[in-house]
Amino acid sequence: MSNDSPTVFIVDDDPGVLIGVSRLIRSTGLKVASFGSPQEFLEQHDPQAPGCLVLDVAMPELNGLELQEALIKMGCPIPIIFLTGHGTVPASVKAMKSGALDFLSKPVDEKDLIAAIRIAIEKDGLARQTRAEKDEIQQRLDTLTPREHEVLTHVISGRLNKQIAFDLGTVEKTIKVHRARVMEKMKANSVAELVHLCERIGIK
Amino acid sequence: MVASASLTLALLHLLIWLRRRQAWASLWFFISATGTSLLALDELWMMRSQTIAQYTSAIRWLHPPAFLVILALVGFVRVYLRAGRPWLTWTTVAVRTLSLVLNFILTPNLNYRSITGLHQVQFFGDSVSVAEGVPSPWMLVGQVSFILWIIFVTDAAVSVWRRGERRRAVMLGGSIIFFALTGSVYAVLTLWKIIDAPVMASLLYMGVVLSMAYELSHDTAGAYKIGEDLKESEHRLELAAEAAQLGVWVRDLETDEIKATEKWRMLFGFSNSRSLNFNLLMERVHFNDRDDLIHVLNNAIAEASSYELEYRVVLPDQQIRWISSHGQVELNDRGKPERVIGLSMDITQRKAAELEALQQRQELAHLARVTMLGELSGSMAHELNQPLTAILSNAQAAQNFMAQDNVDLNEVKEILADIVEQDHRAGEVIRRLRLLLKEGEVQQQPVDVNDVLEEGLKLIRNDLVNRGVALVSRFAPSLPPAIGDRVQLQQVLVNLVMNACDAMSDNAATERRVTVSTELSNGDGVLCSVSDLGPGIPVESLEQIFNFFFTTKSHGLGVGLSVCRSIIVAHHGRLWAANNVERGATFRFTLPVTSEESI
Repeated sequence: MSNDSPTVFIVDDDPGVLIGVSRLIRSTGLKVASFGSPQEFLEQHDPQAPGCLVLDVAMPELNGLELQEALIKMGCPIPIIFLTGHGTVPASVKAMKSGALDFLSKPVDEKDLIAAIRIAIEKDGLARQTRAEKDEIQQRLDTLTPREHEVLTHVISGRLNKQIAFDLGTVEKTIKVHRARVMEKMKANSVAELVHLCERIGIK
Repeated sequence: MVASASLTLALLHLLIWLRRRQAWASLWFFISATGTSLLALDELWMMRSQTIAQYTSAIRWLHPPAFLVILALVGFVRVYLRAGRPWLTWTTVAVRTLSLVLNFILTPNLNYRSITGLHQVQFFGDSVSVAEGVPSPWMLVGQVSFILWIIFVTDAAVSVWRRGERRRAVMLGGSIIFFALTGSVYAVLTLWKIIDAPVMASLLYMGVVLSMAYELSHDTAGAYKIGEDLKESEHRLELAAEAAQLGVWVRDLETDEIKATEKWRMLFGFSNSRSLNFNLLMERVHFNDRDDLIHVLNNAIAEASSYELEYRVVLPDQQIRWISSHGQVELNDRGKPERVIGLSMDITQRKAAELEALQQRQELAHLARVTMLGELSGSMAHELNQPLTAILSNAQAAQNFMAQDNVDLNEVKEILADIVEQDHRAGEVIRRLRLLLKEGEVQQQPVDVNDVLEEGLKLIRNDLVNRGVALVSRFAPSLPPAIGDRVQLQQVLVNLVMNACDAMSDNAATERRVTVSTELSNGDGVLCSVSDLGPGIPVESLEQIFNFFFTTKSHGLGVGLSVCRSIIVAHHGRLWAANNVERGATFRFTLPVTSEESI
């Protein structure tokens, strides 16, 4: 499976519905992978694959909401569109709170389903992009030495070289060298950019 | 005089025997009485003999009637007293036959070696001939046969006495022995010339014949009394039957004629004057009940047993009357079915009440079913939504494919096939729903219990999923078919399974399980059970829960289980509840299987 083009994953225990919905999505030109049970999906799913999940709520053994929980626990942030026979309010509230993208009731119309899928895929793409950027920043951060890391935290909290040198018990000149290295390794052109990068990965 | 009296009695009993061929005693009597009269005539001939030749042939011809009389008396004792040892019977007959044969071989006869002359003696004021001659020692053979005969009768009389029929033993046995002994002694005395008197055996045999006649007439009088009593008791029975509104009828199996009381004729709409037969009765019986009635009657006749049946008759004014009939087949002397005696009663009112109760039960069952379906509506919507979803998705996919430049016709064909299949599926859901909602007549027919339960579980599958209840079904393979109504049995199942789910609503998600199982039970037919893992049922409520309006649920009506029980009882089965050993409760119900295949 190519990691580039997004795939729509479908899980439904009803073979008739599974085949029909898969066909519908495929007919709009999207790539589809269908699964007859949540277990089957969990066993085969590659978290790296981009796309979204179309999930039936009512299934025996492991139901849709439980699969959602399992995915969250696994740290797999795939957007989920729920399909339900009769949208019970408590179930939909719970699903939405846990980050479900949409909650559609059967029989679902092509327009609604495809629209929801497009949004989900777009969201997934953005999320993946964000995650990729963060990974990049993190990788740069990981190249810093412990001393440089120390200097970084002082720099982004807005302290002057002189103050940092005093705090770390060294001379201003040494700090200047460290600071230049940090800017280079983090590929930041200015302190403002460095602060922005660090904020993206949650360092303040 | 002796001859004519004997002959009269003989003819009387010949007539009796001719009318009732089973009355063998009368035949034997006829023979012995005839023999006695011939004996008397022969003796008269002897007394009147003027020449030695005449006397010789008269004495020779005395033996055949004497043989007949002894033979007949032996037969009479055997038949009438039902006594006498077989070997004694045959020995007596054999020795007597021997003496008869010797009589015709020896010259001049058994009794004399030679007759030398005749002389006249005075006998009751008349002059009669008596022989003079040399007695033959062969005469002893005849006398031995007499002794054997007396022993035979004595033995028979003793066994009759022991049997408790003392009067008969004394009257018949005693008199035969008395007359036979006297007669024999007298004959010996005259023949051996110890006394000078004519041979007079017939007079003494006449005594025997008279005592036999007395016995037989006693029987005839007894039979007459029994007849009178019978008439009397029949009359009483008729009165009792009348009071109990029962019609009494008797069917003669040989002629197929039916005799019936007035009340019976009224029940079946026949006038009092009309003569009846079985075919006329069948014409009155409701067309649909005829085969049943004929079947039951033929069975009863074949097994010579009694029968009971309820059937309808259609009166001449087209009014329908329900009849309850009890009958008994009676056998004749030879053990063949002779007639059927029956009692018929009008049970139209009771039937009407039963029908009304049945209708009410059906209405109640329907109400409970509709209520139940209300609770299941979400599940039903899901069952319909699934195929509708598949159809819509497939149709829209097809539209998209058709809009493309290269239409994949195979794909479209597959889509259309799926649409058709899913449409059928939706139709099936609606059909099941309509069956359950329909307020129809109960259809009792052979059903595969596993199949019925499987279909019932389909109705609630989604509901179970939504409630997070796992369903385990353990169906015994190849069960014999049971007689029942699919819809009502499914109603019972759904009700029990939903109760089981309710009982487990407070359980942890992993401990909600309903087990539905079937098995073949000895004597009970098919046993179905529904088990849960709930808190169980308080022991004091195990029976109460089947009462009307008894409920433990905040939203329950308290009709479900009572309706379930009435449904199962109407299926001739049982429904009961019991707590499980470990946890939860189990509801079980039985359904009788069709007769041939039951174990």
